Amino acid sequence: MAPPAQSQRSPSPSQPSGKGEVSDLKMQLRQLAGSRAPGTDDSKRDLFKKVISYMTIGIDVSSVFSEMVMCSATSDIVLKKMCYLYVGNYAKYNPDLALLTINFLQRDCKDEDPMIRGLALRSLGSLRVPNLVEYLVGPLGAGLKDANSYVRMVAAVGVLKLYHISASTCLDADFPALLKHLMLNDPDAQVVANCLSALQEIWGVEASSSEEAAMEREALISKPIIYYLLNRIKEFSEWAQCTVLELVSKYAPPDSNEIFDIMNLLEDRLQHANGAVVLATIKLFLQLTLSMTDVHQQVYERIKAPLLTLVSSGSPEQSYAVLSHLHLLVMRAPMLFASDYKHLYCQYNEPFYVKKLKLEMLTAVANESNTYEIVTELCEYAANVDIPIARESIRAVGKIALEQYDVNAIVDRLLQFLEMEKDYVTAETLVLVKDLLRKYPQWSHDCIAVIGNISSNNVQEPKAKAALIWMLGEYAQDMQDAPYALEGLIDDWEDETSPEVRLHLLTAVMKCFFRRPPETQKALGSALAAGLSDMHQDVHDRALFYYRLLQHSVSVANSVVNPTKQAVSVFADTQSSEIKDRIFDEFNSLSVLYQKPCYMFTDKEHQGPFAFSEELGNLSIGVDDQRVEANDEDLLLSTTGKEESLSQQTQGALLVSLDQTEPAAAHAQQTNLVIDDIFGLGLSSPSPSPSPSPSPLLKLNAKAVLDPTSFQQKWRQLPVSTSQEGLISPQGVAAMTSAQTLVRHMQGHHIHCIASGGQAPNFKLFFFAQKAEEPSNFLVECVINLSTAKAQIKIKVEDENASQAFSNLFQSALSEFGMV
Amino acid sequence: MPVSASAIYFLNLRGDVLINRLYRDDVGGNMVDAFRLHIMQTKELGTCPVRQIGGCSFFYMRISNVYIVIVVSSNANVACAFKFVVEAVNLFKSYFGGAFDEDAIRNNFVLIYELLDEIMDFGYPQNLSPEMLKLYITQEGVRSPFSSKSADKPVPNATLQVTGAVGWRREGLVYKKNEVFLDIVESVNLLMSSKGSVLRCDVTGKILMKCFLTGMPDLKLGLNDKIGLEKESELKSRPTKSGKTIELDDVTFHQCVNLTRFNSEKTVSFVPPDGEFELMKYRITEGVNLPFRVLPTIKELGRTRMEVNVKVKSVFGAKMFALGVVIKVPVPKQTAKTSCQVTSGRAKYNASMDCLMWKIRKFPGQTESTLSAEVELISTIAEKKSWTRPPIQMEFQVPMFTASGLRVRFLKVWEKSGYNTVEWVRYITKAGSYEIRC
Repeated sequence: MAPPAQSQRSPSPSQPSGKGEVSDLKMQLRQLAGSRAPGTDDSKRDLFKKVISYMTIGIDVSSVFSEMVMCSATSDIVLKKMCYLYVGNYAKYNPDLALLTINFLQRDCKDEDPMIRGLALRSLGSLRVPNLVEYLVGPLGAGLKDANSYVRMVAAVGVLKLYHISASTCLDADFPALLKHLMLNDPDAQVVANCLSALQEIWGVEASSSEEAAMEREALISKPIIYYLLNRIKEFSEWAQCTVLELVSKYAPPDSNEIFDIMNLLEDRLQHANGAVVLATIKLFLQLTLSMTDVHQQVYERIKAPLLTLVSSGSPEQSYAVLSHLHLLVMRAPMLFASDYKHLYCQYNEPFYVKKLKLEMLTAVANESNTYEIVTELCEYAANVDIPIARESIRAVGKIALEQYDVNAIVDRLLQFLEMEKDYVTAETLVLVKDLLRKYPQWSHDCIAVIGNISSNNVQEPKAKAALIWMLGEYAQDMQDAPYALEGLIDDWEDETSPEVRLHLLTAVMKCFFRRPPETQKALGSALAAGLSDMHQDVHDRALFYYRLLQHSVSVANSVVNPTKQAVSVFADTQSSEIKDRIFDEFNSLSVLYQKPCYMFTDKEHQGPFAFSEELGNLSIGVDDQRVEANDEDLLLSTTGKEESLSQQTQGALLVSLDQTEPAAAHAQQTNLVIDDIFGLGLSSPSPSPSPSPSPLLKLNAKAVLDPTSFQQKWRQLPVSTSQEGLISPQGVAAMTSAQTLVRHMQGHHIHCIASGGQAPNFKLFFFAQKAEEPSNFLVECVINLSTAKAQIKIKVEDENASQAFSNLFQSALSEFGMV
Repeated sequence: MPVSASAIYFLNLRGDVLINRLYRDDVGGNMVDAFRLHIMQTKELGTCPVRQIGGCSFFYMRISNVYIVIVVSSNANVACAFKFVVEAVNLFKSYFGGAFDEDAIRNNFVLIYELLDEIMDFGYPQNLSPEMLKLYITQEGVRSPFSSKSADKPVPNATLQVTGAVGWRREGLVYKKNEVFLDIVESVNLLMSSKGSVLRCDVTGKILMKCFLTGMPDLKLGLNDKIGLEKESELKSRPTKSGKTIELDDVTFHQCVNLTRFNSEKTVSFVPPDGEFELMKYRITEGVNLPFRVLPTIKELGRTRMEVNVKVKSVFGAKMFALGVVIKVPVPKQTAKTSCQVTSGRAKYNASMDCLMWKIRKFPGQTESTLSAEVELISTIAEKKSWTRPPIQMEFQVPMFTASGLRVRFLKVWEKSGYNTVEWVRYITKAGSYEIRC
């Protein structure tokens, strides 16, 4: 009996909510419930289908629960399945009604048909009602001992389901031990695989609290078990093979003979049709040979062909997943892939995400012998219709140039890009030329000639504009028009929306001033004036800083703005090798695709307070913006940029002291302090240390609220009341696995986090708290560096009187966490 | 853990839920909304198939007019998850008989729920082999033994096999006529520079098999690949016969192939599943015979006129011919009028794809065909922007030709009853991404 052709096309959600229809269904079901007339099953099927289709599209049909249960006394297996599905879906929200189903599920668990036993057991586990677990233990125990492998297979996963509903019940019934026994003795491979998955999960969770479980978890990767599983590897389904291979990759064989044995045994897995198995095998091989450098290299050679095959077969999504792994390997060992660069050429119709990875790999594998071909190919993409790809490829050309191969030809190519006269091409190229010049100042002559011809009107993107302005300032001497071009830009100050550009403009005009004073003086004047009245804090600060610097001493100003520079030798890598190694350890998982280790995206703590709300998330980024920019500059600008980032920080200090109208001495001291900090010399702070005076007891509001905008506003307005640096105890460092652990700890003290960012070892957090009785806020900025085990704290308060009390409270809260 | 998916959703292009199956409780209920809001309704759609929203990761794939979304909360194995989706879709297709689209899902949603229940339990993939599942998921509403005790009970029998070792073939098959069909399907990928040099070229091939064989036959397949031939001559201590040998860069096999024997003896031996399956896949980069040469000349004459000249040469055997040849010659967006002259087939301007579509139904080997066209352009204000030329793309199928030169040398069938089999072998080469820059 094929599914009836007229089986109703399920209604689209645009139709009415189905209230009336649901009660109709209820009626009809009730009529059928007791009927034993022939054909009842068929009409039941139709009704059940309707119910399921409503459920799928999101109409709440939980009201027919009791009728469904009444109708469930049937021998039709399809009906049963539909009913189980329904019950599984709604039982959680109707625990009382779910009790009704227990009876027939338990009865079905004893059915003579193993299919029905299996189904019933699976559904019983899917009820997910905590107070019904007692009914689950018996059938599960019987299921694990069932004569039929299908039932055992279901029971093994059932144990895991039970564990997730009620861990204690599962452990009390000693199910893990049973599973282990089954895993080691069951003749059926799928049962073994399910036991393994369940045990890995259960002991993985338990290990943190129970030593015994931790030992069991270790035992899973002991030699006898690993060998037992490996010897049966061919019996397992392709998916189970993945699980086993993953487990084996955690095993560390004691000697190299064993490593070779395992690899010989599994080499044919690289020819498996399932890409997941191939990837799992690759991971295993890589992990096994980590300590044997030459074999490790041979493994790379061996896995190259299967990887390239996987990339070129299957859907774009699949090849993306594989390509990400290839990307990781290429980045680890570019030379090994240098001869395969042609495989990385992009096809015209490939999606962006595939092309982007390929471009990055092409960049990485470039060496003396293939640079010409690769750059030629990249230049093809620069003319691509797809603008993001065109941009990426120009960046790629630039990166290759920075790697020093055949710079001469590449600089020519880059300059040719400028002649293409496409806005985005010009923009990307300008940024690159700037970086190139910082590394190879000797090329300035060629570049300047071309750059000089670019009208700043054609450059709109902030990054590019900033790059152009930087070059105008830096090479003011060689560029005829530099002062006038800058003057023109300053005239348009009001229309310039990007603060980054305005900041660069200030610095460039300063640089230019010291090189060609008479021509620039006017421009400098108007730039400083415009800067001082600028709405943006940073721009204002920098202008003020330059102004005072010039007032103080012109020669000092010159040495600050135009120091002798060394060419940048290496641009800082954005990702630490530690993180890269972690990602490598998590090969064949999401980490590789996200290009970050899993703790950064799976730990709930890491997602920050605004992770779920995009709007708020943006605001919180707003607070951090400054820091990100500063970091960027530290990373990228290196020597040349240092004076800028330095000045930025210094202004911060200046501003604070200005607002506080403190004596100049204090401010000088603070400036020094900040400068020390930048060079990482920061010892503990000599400035306002908390006096141990007894402070009045301060009560904080547990449910304080402050929205990010007003936090930002207040942070800007208020002076620093306490600023401090402390050491973090080793326990504190260990506890600080993520910013969120501290956030939760502080929440316990009614101090709330408004924004947090960074990743180990550097974190930055903003906290706020409110007085219990009155709406007086305390704002805190906390910068933590785990590698130096230091924490810097800045507190700003609205009510000066409570400052001391809050500072003490905050510190005691911190010290409980192992800081200060 | 390979996947441990928390939920699977099937959505149509509007974002309506067609199927939802929650396997675990660790994701919230509004995953579909999150997907709709953050992926479907944004430009993000199609930018990356893996995305993180909140604490969950979404893997999604579009298959005809359906999105299949897997939601996970842990650091899952992505390759495995995508492979699972692909395999699941193949399974559904084998049940519906071909198409997998919104209508097919709506018409079979109960069946899909049933299958989803079997192929994944609590987020772990279980058995996805259609051969096995079809034994006990039938949608026939198998009456349990109470109602039809007399019926020959296939069910208990089936469950024994569900997880058995030879998972891909069941015992006791009988055919009157024992036949094997072999299809060698290759697709050629080419990227050629405007100067006519080959930038990149490879062939991905697969051997598809259709078996209608009685009992538990053992099959052995011999190809003219280099390693296999060398091994053979070594074993028989006889020099390799002259003739073309093929070097396979990489091979993958269906799970039925005995890989240990392949590695030691270099022969492909296997007990085949019943019916249709993909026996092996291979990739070749050396010594590819390109079936077509394309020589384009495109001249821009001033701002409003273009001259296009494309010559296509077929370089396969004169007795063979290509079918369904389509050559897409790109033209700028602002094309106003075209006039095409071709020596064979028909050419037409296709405005929606911005190209000249040149179709030749049958293209004999060792011949040559040309297209010359004049293109008039609308002059636009944004004159400065020169036209970035996309590559010429080509589609074709050449039966009885393999770009790699791969041939089946023998296919031996051995079964204990010793019946005779009829073997059929077909070759076909298709265009993969066949691009010529101009």
